[in-house]
Amino acid sequence: MNKNSKECIAMLLAGGQGTRLGVLTSDVAKPAVPFGAKYRIIDFPLSNCINSGIDTIGVLTQYRPFELHQYIGNGQPWDLDRLNGGIFVLPPFMRAKSGEWYKGTANAIYQNIDFIDNYSPEYVVILSGDHIYKMDYHDMLTEHKKNNADCTIAVLDVPLSEASRFGILNLKPGTQQIAEFEEKPKQPKSTKASMGIYIFTWEKLRQYLIDDEEDKTSENDFGKNIIPKMLGDKQRMFAYQFDGYWKDVGTISSLWEANMDILRAGKNDLNLDDDRWKIYARTNAEPPQAVTSTAKLINCLVSEGTVVKGTVKDSIISNSVTIGEGAYIEGSIVMPGAVIEDGADIRYAIIGWNAVVGKNAIIGETLPASKPGEWKIAVVGPNYTVKEGEIIAADQMVG
Amino acid sequence: MKNKTMGILFASDKESHLNDLTIHRTTSSVPFGGRYRLIDFTLSNFVNANITTIGVVTRNNYNSLMDHIRMGRDWDLSRKNSGITVFPPMVFDSAHTVYKGKIEALYMLRGYMMEASEDYVVIANANIAYNIDFDEVEKFHIAKGADITVLTYSTDDVNPRKLIVSTDKNDRIKDMRFPVASDSGKQVCDLNIYFIKKDLLISLVDNAYAHGAYDFEKDIIQAQLQDLYIMNYELKDYVAVIDRISSYFKCSMDLLNPEVRESLFYKHSPILTKVKDTVPARYKEGADVKNSIIADGCVIDGTVENSILFRSVKVGKGAVIRNSIIMEDSIIMDGATLNYTITDKDVIIQEGRTLSGYETYPMVVVKGKVI
Repeated sequence: MNKNSKECIAMLLAGGQGTRLGVLTSDVAKPAVPFGAKYRIIDFPLSNCINSGIDTIGVLTQYRPFELHQYIGNGQPWDLDRLNGGIFVLPPFMRAKSGEWYKGTANAIYQNIDFIDNYSPEYVVILSGDHIYKMDYHDMLTEHKKNNADCTIAVLDVPLSEASRFGILNLKPGTQQIAEFEEKPKQPKSTKASMGIYIFTWEKLRQYLIDDEEDKTSENDFGKNIIPKMLGDKQRMFAYQFDGYWKDVGTISSLWEANMDILRAGKNDLNLDDDRWKIYARTNAEPPQAVTSTAKLINCLVSEGTVVKGTVKDSIISNSVTIGEGAYIEGSIVMPGAVIEDGADIRYAIIGWNAVVGKNAIIGETLPASKPGEWKIAVVGPNYTVKEGEIIAADQMVG
Repeated sequence: MKNKTMGILFASDKESHLNDLTIHRTTSSVPFGGRYRLIDFTLSNFVNANITTIGVVTRNNYNSLMDHIRMGRDWDLSRKNSGITVFPPMVFDSAHTVYKGKIEALYMLRGYMMEASEDYVVIANANIAYNIDFDEVEKFHIAKGADITVLTYSTDDVNPRKLIVSTDKNDRIKDMRFPVASDSGKQVCDLNIYFIKKDLLISLVDNAYAHGAYDFEKDIIQAQLQDLYIMNYELKDYVAVIDRISSYFKCSMDLLNPEVRESLFYKHSPILTKVKDTVPARYKEGADVKNSIIADGCVIDGTVENSILFRSVKVGKGAVIRNSIIMEDSIIMDGATLNYTITDKDVIIQEGRTLSGYETYPMVVVKGKVI
């Protein structure tokens, strides 16, 4: 046995552009987008890994990787600065005869077969960098082993009406064994949606990746190619049922909703204050928040280094934010370093990092409440300045 | 840039009398400003000036300090060359007593200092919250051709343990003395922070030690005022000297002033501290917070006014906290009322209880107590 060997390592797909997040991802990759007042999206899969006992992680980056590389650094905030293992950023690289971008999710793993082989793992967990959830991969691995599976896919029950937005797994009756996989089916036969979290027995996956690479017609994608091919070959594939909170934050509205979910009290919502399952983040040591005598804060989450002089309701306020006197913020997300000047009125909006909202500017919906869930979210891009008195409409995106 | 200066920090000092707040810890590890320990300010000032060989001398109760500093990584002091070294209390003689004064402790650190490559040493007590640039002190020291530079500040909080400094017109210290009854108004006082050439320090300590002296201020500084060129470097920015409960309370409340916060937290460089991965603070429906400092991890459902809440404090529905300092992990249950109260860590104030001190004499609840 190789002295560096690991039973299980994780590969985190973090190369996606995240075009649906618009101005928020014009300069950074989606996993580096701020979330929940002090985190980045990637903190969730990374924290899940370390909390599940996985200490070797390859992070596959491609689109706008600098911010992400800098954020990950040596992995210390997640306790991933290890002598043996740890975290590795894996952008595409040149080889002796060729070199190319990651063509698809499966190709990204294929191009890093050498990296994985270095640890001679028995199992590989494949994760994506755009989901908010807390999950014990070790528990999933235990089921994978018990089932003597070749592949285990984490699934979550979604309402039937929404099932056609997901990859849906149809199980053999009375078992967790997967009979059929349908990508975004028009007529879904089950409500078990794939969460994009896979555990593979490495030896098996390795061969499929090599075969897939040789198939010139393949899109080199797990959902479209690898999973259907393995099913067709009657490999042992199982579903792992997950009941906790999970959200794909690939769109502006889902990113907004996931942030708001932190403020809800229900047991199936996102509880970040959990000593047994901490979410780790890289943070600067900033002074605690200062709340002045003109401030009013109701039902919100506020992080360090922030100064609040205005009124904040049902909102997420990140670190190093300044909120001026007479400013009003409701149902919004204010990302790190943003400055909200005196008298600004912000409702149902996302204010990007280091953005400035000028005095008395009006952003988002200011009419009396429409039906909950029908809000359109206004977005002010990172580093953008909204001028004094300017009005940004409810569904507008600037930056 | 090569480091020219090393630091020696005294974690406990006989000048401070913080009573209930130092039962379980050293003066340097007293919590301050919502998320810091007092030592963070000196350590950050050191690191920001590239002073990275740092020895911390402890005397007693140093568990909490060790837990806070660990390997020094949060201050970027976990390094191959230089870095932080915590010296456990040094048992000195055959009588097995801990060192009596700084001179004995410095004598014990002789080898540590000799081994370091730096030419200068800053000696400091860690009961001070300030944000200064030690590069400027070094420049001053060299430009003035000083043997020892003494850092001072101007204060009207003159208590019997302070040393009043008087100088000639060239900033040379002519006298250093304890206050007497006739002293009134603002005085320039010693901060117990000294900048000195390493070789000179070692020879002064050797000589004092050989003569059985142990009080650094009396037996070295005061004794050498005539023979050595001892200069005054007065700090003009905000300085919080924490030496009694009353000054702890007053300096904490100073943080509610934005100018003080600006000076203390942002003026020269950031104040670093141990990172704890606490969740952001949560304000609930019943929250009514005015003029306060709130740290991460707090969950607030009651009224908080003119107060400082450390990390992960829980404030129940209808609870009212005014003019108080609530340390980490304390729980103020529904309907409890606190005024002019300092609760140490892990205190629980049960439902409906009322506690009140007075501005000049805040009530202190000792760590871990349930009321």
